[in-house]
Amino acid sequence: MPLSRRALATAAVIAVVLPLSACGSGDDTGGSSDASGKVEGDITFQTWNLRANFKSYFEGVIAGFEKKYPDAHVKWVDQPAENYADKISADAAGGTLPDVVNVSPDLVAPLAKAGLALDLDKSASKYKKEYLPGAWASHQIPGVKGTYAFPWYLNTGPLFYNKALFEKAGLSPDQPPKTYDDLFADALKISDRTDGKVATLANVPTIEDFGRYGVPLMNKEGTGFTFNDAKGVELLTKYKELYKVKALDPQALTATPESSGRKFLTEAVAMNPGSALDLGNFKKQAPHLYKNIGITDQITSTGHVNMYVMGVMVNSRTKHTPAAVAFAHYVTDAEHQMSFAKKVAIFPSTAGSLEDPYFTKEDGTDETRVRVAAAKSLKTAVNYTPVLFSDQMKTELGNSVARALQGKQSPQEALDAAVKACDRLLQQQG
Amino acid sequence: MATSTVTRSQGPGRPDRPGPLGRLGRLARPGGAAGRTPPPAVRVRRQLVTSPWLFAAPGLLITAVFILYPFVSTVINSFTDRRTLLPGHYVGLANFRELLHDDMFWIGLRNSTVYVLGVVPALVILPLLLALLVQRNIPGITFFRSAFYTPVVASVVVVGLIWVWLLDERGLVNSLLEAVGVGKVGFLSDQWLLLFSAMTVTVWKGLGYYMIIYLAALANVPRELHEAAAVDGAGAVRRFLTVTVPAVRSTMVLVAALSSVAAFKVFSEVYLMAGPNGGPAGEDTTLVMLVQRTGTGLSGRVGYASALSLVVFVVAVVLMLLVLRADRREES
Repeated sequence: MPLSRRALATAAVIAVVLPLSACGSGDDTGGSSDASGKVEGDITFQTWNLRANFKSYFEGVIAGFEKKYPDAHVKWVDQPAENYADKISADAAGGTLPDVVNVSPDLVAPLAKAGLALDLDKSASKYKKEYLPGAWASHQIPGVKGTYAFPWYLNTGPLFYNKALFEKAGLSPDQPPKTYDDLFADALKISDRTDGKVATLANVPTIEDFGRYGVPLMNKEGTGFTFNDAKGVELLTKYKELYKVKALDPQALTATPESSGRKFLTEAVAMNPGSALDLGNFKKQAPHLYKNIGITDQITSTGHVNMYVMGVMVNSRTKHTPAAVAFAHYVTDAEHQMSFAKKVAIFPSTAGSLEDPYFTKEDGTDETRVRVAAAKSLKTAVNYTPVLFSDQMKTELGNSVARALQGKQSPQEALDAAVKACDRLLQQQG
Repeated sequence: MATSTVTRSQGPGRPDRPGPLGRLGRLARPGGAAGRTPPPAVRVRRQLVTSPWLFAAPGLLITAVFILYPFVSTVINSFTDRRTLLPGHYVGLANFRELLHDDMFWIGLRNSTVYVLGVVPALVILPLLLALLVQRNIPGITFFRSAFYTPVVASVVVVGLIWVWLLDERGLVNSLLEAVGVGKVGFLSDQWLLLFSAMTVTVWKGLGYYMIIYLAALANVPRELHEAAAVDGAGAVRRFLTVTVPAVRSTMVLVAALSSVAAFKVFSEVYLMAGPNGGPAGEDTTLVMLVQRTGTGLSGRVGYASALSLVVFVVAVVLMLLVLRADRREES
């Protein structure tokens, strides 16, 4: 039967409108917050750049879960490290967020505010006592009641330094700086003794640096930023001095973690923060650097290093809440966190795990020395990054710091501007 | 035409064999459902109307879903305070008022404009000279044509990273400059040098593409014109200015229009070379980078980014109209 013009037009409109109806910010149907039912159904678990190195570990965890709960099936997806937040936001906006998602506290905050993260204080409070109190609280958001992710692994992240460059500048290769005052003194010496050819750092201070210097970052209510106080200005003034004498790499104002890593790899800078995975990279790509690598704790003037917290969030719209909660708990319980920690240099967030001899006894090797020291520092570590500090706020702070280092604004003016911009963004977040 | 086909298909000796419009032929027979079915001529006319639409439907559908809908959605969002995860409310012209007071918007507008002014003249003139160079049929010229075109097919990310390595403080270019006594140049740390370096990459990458367009235009320039000019004593430069340029003028306008819109919307080159913050203190941010930075992420301000996108769209259209208008005025 031939199509009439009207029928064709109707078909075209339906064809256009139907797919579009799937767009938007998702519907409100789906998930229940009750996690007490039978553990069954197909769920999706998303990790953050873990497949390349830990494929067999996660396959084993999933197999174990499916054996324990035969009616549940887990599909594992992994996303690359870059643009992870964009991937999550696209999924969240499109209504395709996986049931169980690997997040960090700053990622979970907007998801919780949008009602996309399950409140574990309501749905999984029975598990709360299994975790370190500080770790459980790390996924709580100022102004929002509840806890929105299971705490997973913790890390402090080592600070690497190039012993050969330290020696070249007449500094002891076995005495790296511990506090910011030590760092500034050593950086000025390295710059002076190498005629500005070797910089100490490749990046400008971040919000964590302000925290570790002892600058109060936010008010107690979590309604405004405070890093423009006298201490913050002092830190930025010292960094300005470093930049002027090239103790800070000239390209630091446009640096990314990747570009800073490259600078360290090519021995253009003497110190760089990193992770345990970097050691393998140094060994393969820069044998000379690897031979001279020094590992120390993060620089801190507060006595507390920065703690990076990973979490596992349950999508509040999941169709299988009991299975999703059970799996998120399974991945993060003491047994699995411990077995994961034995595969890579991370630390469990479960209560009592850090007392395990694995984290307290040295066997004389560098590896155990670093591990025991890191586990010890973790007990008093602080997650300095404010949960509400968004990517846009990081950009505002970065730009203000750059203006101060270039001398376009005084450190006080620059930090005042950054606080004003971040406060405005905070208000807009609602 | 349809009638004659029907007649042929019902010719002697082939009573049941349908022709190209066999189904139509069967329906046309007396005793068919003629009372309820429209006459064949009407049905053919209808099919002539609907068939082109059916052929065009996939293309139209893709256009509607991936161009029309996002465009309409952007216009609507620009009047709201929508965020990535939160539906917005109507805020009238507030986003547009805000961008007038946003320093970063003016920095973005300045940089995008400087980019157009720097890149477009180079992309109009240099590929033409390159096309003249490789137009000659001499042995091995195909290799050079391919070589000049290679940057076009290379990934912009790969190209950007290679240029970052070249222009780094310890890169090849700075090592050479140091060797000849010039000293290190902050290609990737100075605000203006960074923008200039990104422009260089854009021009280098675009040369081959526009060269191909010019080669096609140059093939249409009659050789006799050059010969006549040469006989009249015109040198190479004179022939270029009085014969070649007028002959490819419309192509030059096309290249100017295409490259100015592309330059105004620049993102990848600046993002790769100046970093996600857009250079020191964000001073190299372009408008499209600002759209990306403002509108993406879990806390993205979709409404404000949409307003910025609309401004980019309007400026790009105005830019193209200006180029075309200038061409028309010159023609008249």
